[in-house]
Amino acid sequence: MKYLTTLLLLFLLSSTLMAQMQRQRAVKDGPVEDIFRIGSITGMSTVTTLEAKNLNSLIMHNFGLVSTGIEEFYGLDQNAAVRLGFDYGVTDELTIGIGRTSVEDNVDFRAKYLILKQLESDKIPVQIAIKGDVGINTQKNTQFDEFTFQERLNYFASVMIARKFNKQLSLQIAPMVSHFNTVKIERVGEIPENTHYGLGIGGRYAFDERKAITFEYLPVIGDRSPGTKNHFALGYEIETGGHVFQMFFMSGKWFTEQHLLARTNTNFFEGDFRLGFNINRVFGL
Amino acid sequence: MKNILLITLFAVLQTTVSAQTFYAEDGKAVFLSKVPLHSFEGSSENLVGMINLDENILDFYLDLETLDTGNGKRDRDMRLTLNTEEYPFAEFYGTLSSPFDINNPEPQPATAKGTFKIHGNQQEVEIEGTLTPTEDGLLLKASWILNLTDYDIEPPKLLIIKVDENQEINIEMLLTPYSEDE
Repeated sequence: MKYLTTLLLLFLLSSTLMAQMQRQRAVKDGPVEDIFRIGSITGMSTVTTLEAKNLNSLIMHNFGLVSTGIEEFYGLDQNAAVRLGFDYGVTDELTIGIGRTSVEDNVDFRAKYLILKQLESDKIPVQIAIKGDVGINTQKNTQFDEFTFQERLNYFASVMIARKFNKQLSLQIAPMVSHFNTVKIERVGEIPENTHYGLGIGGRYAFDERKAITFEYLPVIGDRSPGTKNHFALGYEIETGGHVFQMFFMSGKWFTEQHLLARTNTNFFEGDFRLGFNINRVFGL
Repeated sequence: MKNILLITLFAVLQTTVSAQTFYAEDGKAVFLSKVPLHSFEGSSENLVGMINLDENILDFYLDLETLDTGNGKRDRDMRLTLNTEEYPFAEFYGTLSSPFDINNPEPQPATAKGTFKIHGNQQEVEIEGTLTPTEDGLLLKASWILNLTDYDIEPPKLLIIKVDENQEINIEMLLTPYSEDE
């Protein structure tokens, strides 16, 4: 009996090779994909860069404060702030962009470079990118008329460190600095700051492949201008065939981080936030 | 005595199988998608295959998440279209129905009949290609047309134009003699 059993076992072992192979998933150790779906959460940049030769056309809007109530149709009756921008992937690591914001006619040039990519194996557990932005206030017929080119400039720099923890959750922190060559004294005796430091915190929680909720928080670290509040935004992101739509409530009215950090003057948690939305459309060129 | 007999029998069985079995796990698979005025392809070098000449078996499969079209967003869309989370493999299992001479070093036409499965659906197919004995093993090349709707796959859209439901599939892999160490 034992002899027969052994024979049967040997036969089965041998015939295993002749049967259908067992299907096994390929082991990959590439970069983690989609830490964030697109280059910004609301106004805060993410570690995500465009792929080489891809162009993202980006329209960002927000309206007046929701707290203005029905009289102003919860802010929609007030003038919208709009930033129209284009970003281009020079390489998979380097993205450059240009944009214009309707508030103060600020034109900005920006670049983002991906230094380190998070790997599936966790050999590199985080993704790191750096970003720089230079803006110029081009507004005419205001107090800026008398300012020189140099005096109209504003700057931003940050280091973004992010990790995708699982298919759903990605988090990012971003030490940042903004600088304005010229600042305006709003009230006698108040001394505004030219430079602000901050620590951006952002996140994304995906419900599925297409939908996610997002947030960003830009607390100022250290001295701040009088009236400057920490910017916060809470959003909903949806991807539909080539577009990424982002709808959100945000405290600041700006879309450039130097302004969000230094010139946000409303407090989200006191009910002073506004409705906004971004439309991203990525083209392969 | 019985033990010696058993061991000998096992060794003979294994040797016979190994000598006629060829295996690869770095085969190349390419698909070509077309829309009017545009086409793109996706490829993977993770095609796993096995040929057993004793049994005339051809077996291969691909982890669909290894396909790369050169565009991350398109890759994501492709994975959603194919529902790779639920159905991660494209796979074929069948028999070689054409004669094959392993001692003839020329490329020989090869036909395999069997079941191709993708997206949780399967169809009986006939795949044609060539099989070439080389110093290292067997070189298999094959191509066929995969009709997406046959497998209940909704052809994706580029902007508003649907991708052609017929996809050209090409595979190429060098299968080496299977050894027990593998």
